[in-house]
Amino acid sequence: MASDPMSVNSSAREPPAAPGSGADEPKYGGYTRFELELEFVQALGNPLYLNHLASRKLLSNPAFVAYLDYLQYWSRPPYLKYLTYPGPTLKNLELLQQEKFRQDIISPDLVERMRIEGMKAGIDWHKESFPTTA
Amino acid sequence: MDKYLDARFERVEKALATFIDSIAKYNPSEKLAEDLVAADRELALSLKELERHQNNHARIMQLRQETVALDQQTKDIIGGLWNMRKEVKTTPATQYPATGPKYKFTTHELLNYAKRISRTTLPPTHLIVESNNLDAQQQLQNQGGGGGQPMDLDSAAPTPMPGTTTAAGTPAASAAPTPAPSGPSGPSTAAAAPFSQQPPPPPSANQTALPHDLKTHIDPLAGFQFHPWPTEDKVRMGGMAAYQSLISRAMDPKGYDPEEEERRKKEEEEARKEAEERAIREREEEEKRMREERERMARERERARREEAERSGSISGPSAGAGPGAVSSSGSGGGRSQFTFLDGMDDDDDDDDD
Repeated sequence: MASDPMSVNSSAREPPAAPGSGADEPKYGGYTRFELELEFVQALGNPLYLNHLASRKLLSNPAFVAYLDYLQYWSRPPYLKYLTYPGPTLKNLELLQQEKFRQDIISPDLVERMRIEGMKAGIDWHKESFPTTA
Repeated sequence: MDKYLDARFERVEKALATFIDSIAKYNPSEKLAEDLVAADRELALSLKELERHQNNHARIMQLRQETVALDQQTKDIIGGLWNMRKEVKTTPATQYPATGPKYKFTTHELLNYAKRISRTTLPPTHLIVESNNLDAQQQLQNQGGGGGQPMDLDSAAPTPMPGTTTAAGTPAASAAPTPAPSGPSGPSTAAAAPFSQQPPPPPSANQTALPHDLKTHIDPLAGFQFHPWPTEDKVRMGGMAAYQSLISRAMDPKGYDPEEEERRKKEEEEARKEAEERAIREREEEEKRMREERERMARERERARREEAERSGSISGPSAGAGPGAVSSSGSGGGRSQFTFLDGMDDDDDDDDD
């Protein structure tokens, strides 16, 4: 799995400019910071990815925790509307701000439970609109 | 009414009195009797009228009472409403603490967003329907068997299999539909007991459906799982992976743009090609120019030769008037003799000039 796009001495403090702002953003490997951070914050919606990050001891790294805090700009406009997996992304971003969750996500049981319940929730909340065909 | 009745009574009494008088005087008169009868009839009519009058009166009274009652009711209702309104107005509205900042958006933006995320947040319909069916089956089984089996976690599994979800985790139960399995020990028997009592699912429910193992081979959607987050494949194919691969190739991704690089390479390639082409073109031009130069010089030499020939022809007379073609085609021997001759002329001229 791809590693995080953040270097510990990253000097990024301001959220990147949203597309269409006209600013000529520098590119990192062909992608703007906006694109990379959008991709990363959405990958956080995947419990397996969180487990992967935890297994590489990133979730206990203070710089990484600061980065997670910085990523919260995705819960505000104008960035909010670019999330294509809004539910799990924002939920996990919120959970990742908690020390306890960052420690617990290393447990495979929790990951599996989050995975199954997330998939179930993804289906269940659409159920009312479809009739049962027994 | 009283007066009316009194007049009738008086009339009857008078008629009666005159009639009695007439009888007392032994002078009964038929006319008086008829008067009495008429008076009596009128009295009877009046009494009927009185009855009606009394009824009307009673009715009026009753209506008045009703009016009063209804008025009272109306007043009560209005009073109640008034009180209610006062209460509503005085009730303090709950002030919810601000849970977070609110953002404005337009319906258009919302619909656009909904359209965009529908691909990643809306599971395929068949998964929802199957999940519904699974729930219904579980409910049926829970009711029928009385088993308090909680909602199984793997209900998101795409293909429902009646019987297996409840028996999951207890292999003894799924393997042995015969009552009272005697093998397993302790907790597993306790867990298996309620399910082994349960009758196997009715075969009629499965007659129209494919067996599960066949279904996985035939149904292209079997085994499809919906993930409401980017899957590992997507993460591996994205920009972060590209970034990582640059780092692992010991290149600085900052400012590095594969497209830009590609474009730059292409431009260099084109420039190189263009330079080559230009060199070739220049060489060709050069050659062409030289060729033209040579041709021009050859033509000039030719012309000079022809002029010389014409000049010599006019001097040497009509015998040499065979034309320039004859001169040029006549081989070197003839030309030579002519030139020799011309040389002689020249010498003469020179001599003249001198």
